[in-house]
Amino acid sequence: MVTRTVCQVFQHRFASSAAALRPSPAEVCSQRNAVFSREQARQRALYPRVEKIEVSMQGPGLVGTTLIMNRGMSTPLSCARHLTEHHMNSSALALVDGEPWPLHKPLTHSCSLTLLTFKDSDPTLVNQAYWRSCAALLGQVLETAFKDDYTVELLSTPEVPVISGAFCCDVVLDAQLDSWTPSEESLRSLTRGAQQLIHQDLAWEPLEVTSSVALEVFSHSRCKQEEVEQKASQSPKDTVMLYRCGDHVLLTGGPLVARTGLCSQYEVTALHSLGQGPWGHHRRAQGLSLPLQLQAHHTVWRKLRQRAEKLVDVPGPEEVKPPSPPDSVQPPTNQ
Amino acid sequence: MRLTLQMLISHGRMARRIGLGPESRINILRNILTGLVRHERIETTWARADEVRFYAEKLVDYAKKGDTDEKAMKMACFWLTEKDLVPKLFKVIAPRFESQPGGYTRMARIPNRNNLDRAKMAVLEYKGNPFPSLYPVRKENELTLINQLLKGFREERAQQLAAKA
Repeated sequence: MVTRTVCQVFQHRFASSAAALRPSPAEVCSQRNAVFSREQARQRALYPRVEKIEVSMQGPGLVGTTLIMNRGMSTPLSCARHLTEHHMNSSALALVDGEPWPLHKPLTHSCSLTLLTFKDSDPTLVNQAYWRSCAALLGQVLETAFKDDYTVELLSTPEVPVISGAFCCDVVLDAQLDSWTPSEESLRSLTRGAQQLIHQDLAWEPLEVTSSVALEVFSHSRCKQEEVEQKASQSPKDTVMLYRCGDHVLLTGGPLVARTGLCSQYEVTALHSLGQGPWGHHRRAQGLSLPLQLQAHHTVWRKLRQRAEKLVDVPGPEEVKPPSPPDSVQPPTNQ
Repeated sequence: MRLTLQMLISHGRMARRIGLGPESRINILRNILTGLVRHERIETTWARADEVRFYAEKLVDYAKKGDTDEKAMKMACFWLTEKDLVPKLFKVIAPRFESQPGGYTRMARIPNRNNLDRAKMAVLEYKGNPFPSLYPVRKENELTLINQLLKGFREERAQQLAAKA
């Protein structure tokens, strides 16, 4: 009996010291922020003198327009500000020499610029970027939603096609929450948190950093460091793209849209359990969102939301699929 | 005749007075109808186009009976002043509207004539003509975000229905 009380005392003591050893989420956040700001200031200081570049605009009604911008300081958003307010509000992504370019990333050489909106004739790139941004927002909401006693680990968000109906964010919650299933109220509070971020209209600031700096940014999270190494090995220049939204530093697989204010209807629809994985109990948070320019009527939104509650199957990475048999069933033709 | 007030006021009278008299009116409409059958889209004053519409649709109804029909052939020969259009009516225009019960013509207003009279003008056409449409067709972009989501929704529902059946 005495041994039992002694053991309990030791357990409590060690538990509190373990919690004290782990840095609080606010500290982690401020450390990441500090490293990000330092790197951003260093990259800006690479252009001490103002040098001019010529940016030729492409797009409906803009062919032949040439803007003279500053190297390393002007972003596609500043080019849009030179045009009209409509261009500034509606553009979500830019194409610089055919390459997708986030709107807040500074231009480094004379190029041709196309501003992409949600209502172009081919908005697939913009749709994919928007889906990725919504997933990043969901990850940010999940990181801040829980109390300081519980850790939240964001895993690499899978690339989900838009047609699947919902964007997902894979997360591993604290071991104490393994048996917790989210109720309607908790999903609604997550949605409210996301709506607050959208209302603040924060910009997603991009920053291209070397893998060493990225590893320093995510020094408190082992799984994020692995993700950084994986992404750095895939890129040709061993660099990783980091994004900062407000206070949080995120890591994504592609360009994000300009700011959170572009989303208008946003709802967190479900949190499914995926079972045990290498990092713990994997969960997939799903959500549905529509941009400001493409709002849906509430009846349509309700139907889409119902579909978004179902678990989205993410196709496995680099599976060598055998070619489908030629005599497969023909899909029904559209009328 | 008795010169009453009702004679001077034409409230509720539906019959239009075109040209010099009833025979002149029929001749004018016949010429316009011939032009319509030849070109399949013509531009006239709004009142004449409105009058010709009735006769154009009745002519197509007669032509649907086939060129072996006595009455149909007589009608076609009377109404079409250029006789090379009679086979066109029976062989091109009538088969086009085989499945439709009515509504073979379309009328659209255009800006008033530039002359001193500033007459109200209209374009009259047979449907299914080879020219580009009068009203531009707005095609919805399939690739926008909301349309892609709806497409996925529709496909899933179709799959579920197929699985249930």
